[in-house]
Amino acid sequence: MPEPVVSVRALTVRFGGLVAVKGVSFDVAPGEIFGVIGPNGAGKTTLFSCLAGAQRPTSGSIHLRGESLDGLAVWAVAHRGLVRTHQIVRPFREMTVADNVAIGARFGRGRRRGADEKGRVRDILARTGLGARAGSLAGTLTLGELKRLEIARALATEPDVLCLDEIMGGLNPAEINAAMVLVRELRDSGLTILLIEHHVHAVVGVSDRILVLNFGEKIAEGRPEEVLRDPAVVAAYFGDAPEEAAL
Amino acid sequence: MQQALDVVVNSFLAAGLYATMAYGLAVIYGVMRIINLAHAGIMMLGAYTTFTLFTHFSIDPFLSIVVVVPLFFAGGVALYRTVVRRLPRSGSTPSMESLLLLFGVWLVLQNLAYVLWSGDTQSILTSYTLKSVSLLGVRVGVPSLGVFGMSALSLLVLEFVLHRTYLGKAIRAVTQNRDAALLSGVDADRISAVAFGVGTAFAGLAGTLLSTLFAFTPDFGRSFLLKAFCIIVLGGLESVTGVAAGAFVLALLENVTAAYTAVPTSLQDALSFTLLVVTLVVLPQGLPGLFRLVHVRRRG
Amino acid sequence: MTSKRALEAAGMLAVAGALYFAPSFLERGTLNDLWSVALAVVLASSWNLLGGFAGQVSIGYSAFLGIGAYTTVLLALSGTPPVLTLPLGALLAGGFSVIIGYPTFRLRGPYFTIATIGVGEAVRVVASSLSFAGGASGLRMPAGSYDFESNFRSMTLLAVALVWIALAISRSAFGSALSAVRQDIDAAEALGVNSTRLKVTVHALSAALVGLAGGLFAINFQYVSPGSVFDFRLSLTIVLMPIVGGVGTVAGPVLGAILFGWLQLKLLSIPALLSSSLLIYGALLIAVMLFEPKGLLGLVRRLWARRLRRFYIDA
Repeated sequence: MPEPVVSVRALTVRFGGLVAVKGVSFDVAPGEIFGVIGPNGAGKTTLFSCLAGAQRPTSGSIHLRGESLDGLAVWAVAHRGLVRTHQIVRPFREMTVADNVAIGARFGRGRRRGADEKGRVRDILARTGLGARAGSLAGTLTLGELKRLEIARALATEPDVLCLDEIMGGLNPAEINAAMVLVRELRDSGLTILLIEHHVHAVVGVSDRILVLNFGEKIAEGRPEEVLRDPAVVAAYFGDAPEEAAL
Repeated sequence: MQQALDVVVNSFLAAGLYATMAYGLAVIYGVMRIINLAHAGIMMLGAYTTFTLFTHFSIDPFLSIVVVVPLFFAGGVALYRTVVRRLPRSGSTPSMESLLLLFGVWLVLQNLAYVLWSGDTQSILTSYTLKSVSLLGVRVGVPSLGVFGMSALSLLVLEFVLHRTYLGKAIRAVTQNRDAALLSGVDADRISAVAFGVGTAFAGLAGTLLSTLFAFTPDFGRSFLLKAFCIIVLGGLESVTGVAAGAFVLALLENVTAAYTAVPTSLQDALSFTLLVVTLVVLPQGLPGLFRLVHVRRRG
Repeated sequence: MTSKRALEAAGMLAVAGALYFAPSFLERGTLNDLWSVALAVVLASSWNLLGGFAGQVSIGYSAFLGIGAYTTVLLALSGTPPVLTLPLGALLAGGFSVIIGYPTFRLRGPYFTIATIGVGEAVRVVASSLSFAGGASGLRMPAGSYDFESNFRSMTLLAVALVWIALAISRSAFGSALSAVRQDIDAAEALGVNSTRLKVTVHALSAALVGLAGGLFAINFQYVSPGSVFDFRLSLTIVLMPIVGGVGTVAGPVLGAILFGWLQLKLLSIPALLSSSLLIYGALLIAVMLFEPKGLLGLVRRLWARRLRRFYIDA
């Protein structure tokens, strides 16, 4: 692998007696689409929270382009070029769609102002298909539109690494396909993408490599086809009888 | 040595009262995530009610508790049903609307007191108010002993109710995990009403006890309110023992600074406020959080 | 400049001009009333920058008024001219807000509010025991330092300036960040907004403006005491005005200030009502929280929208 853009070593997160993430290590290559899957409660969102700086790991390290993210506040991590979207969307409901995206453009790494900022916002709205809704209040959007708004805002900060947390949750099949296309386009424009997804076939369809978590531990990592055939992964999803997993 | 004993005994006595004061606030916050700023006004009302019972009907303040507690419980439930229940619920996060609304209630209560009892400072003087006895070689006032006794009793009753009755268990359940409790069939509205009633009753009781020790005006209660906040932040919401522990820490701090430093009593309020802010910032989970941290670290 | 902006600018200049020349036309009693309303506008609008725009409710603002007032008096007593004492008072108030801001802004929502109540009370208690500050009985301004007209002009000009500041902020990138932080602080931080620095900055600006008003206050009354400037009920009134008027808007605090100014005057003139002032304030607060959290302005807008809708449906 070329110099990894994201490098996680022995990441552990403990909440009192509960271990949410246990000794997870992995690397993400630049320009990769890196999927993270696992049953509910496996620690995926906690992992993303650590990457973004919203959760302090109990131990372990995270490096972005070789620089440690240890102890950085959430906004500082965003300024270094790593942003995340939220599993449960968090729009600024009292602002318009354009203003929502503008927050990312103004205060993210790009720190755009004036006409520059307006142009960037317009661009991003077009790319995420929200151009028509630019002037609408975020509180009036459908779920699919809100998910796209999450991505649009994160994009506006001009990140190198984008962490997408279940952007396909609650979407219909057409919307899911559109999302997969968007993810590929984003990667093609130069971003590295990490994504958590429950729709296994969608993740498999779009990812270069996949990480599988179960009970906070890494149980597999590699190309989608290899990972899905791994008995440990099958056991995690379907129980101990591999014959039942007639894939 | 004698001074140290003095400090410890006085801290114990004060802690009992403080715990009673704090618990009223804790139960309402625990069950409904509402910060009841009217708590100060209710304590004040408790003091004045006791005063009226004493001056007009010659009922001893400690005996008046029998009247005050049920009366204030009913009042609390009524207040919940008429006003608090109508607030938009913001789920499990504490809301500003409830804070400000109960602030408004506090103002109304103060005005009520001014109208009914005038703004003059009042106090209750019984036959035993000025008497004192010797406890472990320390001189303590008789009212202080009575107050401690009543506080301890009320907290014991509370502990019993919380652990042995359905209502008590429901209250603890909602405090720990509201959603799970609701899913298990707990009637949120009824529990909230009861919790508000209990909180108000405790505030009234605290007011009665305070009236035996201090003089009071309608403005009374603010510094006690802040002490109560300090205590529930220190002691956490999870148990009566937590509140008692927080109360003891505060009382000890006050008595130690009074005895060993030159800090004048007027600045002692500033002390409890500083402790409050420091605790909120450094130990957001209070002492129980600290205990948990130490415990986990030891397990390795 | 759009026509709306031009109209606004013209309007503010007109008001400022009228107020500037008011001392020549109006009698002293009316001028005093106007001064009080101007003070209320300054306090309400300043508070609203932190409490309304950024959503951080502080019930300890009397501390800043008091710091500004006391600084002015103390410096005046040592011979410093008002042109210096006023900015220094503002600076000290702002500085103090930064010192308490960093620890208290780590708290969210109501916890922050409780901490501010504690700080406000602590400041009052400390001020009452400082002997060089006159203790509980307060301090008098040195003789001969008083000119009502210039004080009137300063206060009213400050009020107009505050409206302009609030407008400017509400339309700026800074203002959009405040709004984002108010609506969802975690989401804002995830997009790169340094929420702590933002809160501390707006708090400092807000506190400095209140401190400035405090200095003018001290000069106007020629006397300060812990009871007059560090009063908890003052902190409360400072919160009530923008909330009743319409928190988070520019016009809301002004409306609230005018309403309270009017209320105060009415209450003072009818002795029977004076004893009910707490009841009235409390009832207002309860009513607003229960029925119209967006305050008077919100109510007006709602009724206006309803009337428009009915108009369009009937027509």
